[in-house]
Amino acid sequence: MSGLSIVLRSIWRRAEGRFALIVLALWVVVALVSLVWTPQSLWVTDGYHVWARPSADHWLGTDGTGADVFSWLMAGSLTNLLIVLLTVALCAVWGLALVAAMVARSAALSSVAVVLVDALISIPTVLVALILAVPLGASIVVVVIACGFGYGLNLARIARPAALLAARSSYVESALSNGAGGWRVLVSHIIPNILPVLAVQLSLSAGTAVLAESGLTYLGIGVPSGVPSWGHSLATSVKLINVFPLTVLWPGLIVTVVVVALNVFGDVLRDAIDPVANPALRRVEEGDGKAGRGCMPNGIFETDKVVEASQSCETTENHAGNAAAVAIRGGEHNGGEAYDGR
Amino acid sequence: MRFVIHRLALFVVALFGLSIVIFAALRILPGDVASVMAGVNASPARVAQLREQLGLNRSLVEQYGDWMGALVRGDFGTSILTGRSVTALVASRAAITFPLIIVGLLIALAIGLPLGCAAVLARSARVRALFHMMSIIGGAIPALWGGLLLILLFGRGVGLIGILPSQGFPLDGWAMPGRALLSLVLPALSVGIIVGASIMRYTRAALGGFADSGYVDMARSCGMTRTQAVLRVGLRLATPQLVSVIGLTFASMITGVMVIENLFALPGIGNGLVTDVGNRDLIAVQSELFLLAAFFLGIGLIVDVLHRVLDPRMKTATSLSEVSQ
Repeated sequence: MSGLSIVLRSIWRRAEGRFALIVLALWVVVALVSLVWTPQSLWVTDGYHVWARPSADHWLGTDGTGADVFSWLMAGSLTNLLIVLLTVALCAVWGLALVAAMVARSAALSSVAVVLVDALISIPTVLVALILAVPLGASIVVVVIACGFGYGLNLARIARPAALLAARSSYVESALSNGAGGWRVLVSHIIPNILPVLAVQLSLSAGTAVLAESGLTYLGIGVPSGVPSWGHSLATSVKLINVFPLTVLWPGLIVTVVVVALNVFGDVLRDAIDPVANPALRRVEEGDGKAGRGCMPNGIFETDKVVEASQSCETTENHAGNAAAVAIRGGEHNGGEAYDGR
Repeated sequence: MRFVIHRLALFVVALFGLSIVIFAALRILPGDVASVMAGVNASPARVAQLREQLGLNRSLVEQYGDWMGALVRGDFGTSILTGRSVTALVASRAAITFPLIIVGLLIALAIGLPLGCAAVLARSARVRALFHMMSIIGGAIPALWGGLLLILLFGRGVGLIGILPSQGFPLDGWAMPGRALLSLVLPALSVGIIVGASIMRYTRAALGGFADSGYVDMARSCGMTRTQAVLRVGLRLATPQLVSVIGLTFASMITGVMVIENLFALPGIGNGLVTDVGNRDLIAVQSELFLLAAFFLGIGLIVDVLHRVLDPRMKTATSLSEVSQ
């Protein structure tokens, strides 16, 4: 069994993991289906049936132009999927670059990076979005850059302790003395060690990006009008409130359920991906070193199991002992993050 | 002391960098700024006049120098659209935003702190899972939607129990405090519920960390019950962390309530900024963005310094991030 299937299996075994997987899979499927089929065409407007109640033709009614609400929600899931994927990718690249700089051997580079992150982390996403929106106007790019920038800083700050521990460890020292370059150390030693933190943070960022999209789009600096997105549907439903209050429920409910699923997914993924918390993974690694290599923190140092074990213990203890401190330090900005932008 | 000077220098450098970013972002507008601002039907003379007024004829460096020079003297410029000084504009908006976020934060604390403590104290795994679910769902609600639901419940005219004004702020501002406060109830409640969920998460994380620590064990062996030990000893230990989280949350709410201000038609700081961006009111946007950036960087500075004062472990660290290890 490969590492991936074990991780998925461990997620599926827990009820909340099943919920998250089903919601996320449904999201992707609906987004793909909307490419080729929606119940009504997005651009067919029916002037005689504006603000219509749900019916066989319009499952969730129509909006002010007579366009089908359900079809727009379906098409919106594709836009949101795109935004989330781009944001997570940008956040990962920018965050990892910062982590690499923060734990670099060069004292000048690392202190500049640490100080930069400390200074910029207090700038809220929505402010970045506004600065970008002046020259760019409402655009998906604004959402992606504003979110990716802020969440990347956040990621770097939270991942730093674990990354530093790995970077100063004896196995990295031995890798360096064996001639490994900085890039190789980053990819094969540091990233595997911060993988659990990375997984949680990226899923949280994905959830926050969905929320930020809805807020920014409502404010007119997110997804441009005319492009379907959940934020667009939510903003449209505001105008519906006097006419047919129940229509307001759907877009917000979808956003809430998806964000809950992403948060839960992060939690469950952390437990599933961490060999310390997930014995099934450990068993595979012991049987077959390849599965863990390059992806699991403990499979890295194959030549010396004793060193490996002690390293992993150190990491775990550190995690457990200071989990709260890390959560708070990271969360402190995340708190702003979780709130601003919507 | 060295740290404070270090950090202060960084603050100045970061602010300077951001001022350049803001200035540049506003100058790379596609097309002619003056004609965009003057509108489609403006006469060429009006556009020329506006260009003169904005100083757009001069070099970028000169424009930036003028702006910075005025800022240092405390002059934030005049809104092109309304002719009011940016200082007065921001002050009148702050008179709405600050009461809103203060009430919102109080509601959030009233919700978040007790629930966070209860989540730590709960013995049964099922109850704990319930609390966990509550905090996740609370944090996943889009502010816009939360506000809408509250309007549908309590808003006058549309709500099931229509007892509260659902939109707007009295035109005469705080002349009638009762009415003004009443119009802040629903917005503050929607902010409070969402922020409350995140405060609940932090409380649980901070307190949970200490609940299993030797401090609490010690207190229990001295005869306290678990509840007493966690609330008296654990909570006191968690206070520095919570204070810094709450401080930063409060700061972030200034722009965080933007959507809520917009939904409830409150002319606050965030809402005003969005309006000015929409109107391309160059001078006002430029100074407002700068003020906000300065505010957030300043809060970051204060929290870092305070944390260092409160937490003796920080004495030797070079940055906050180091202590989180």
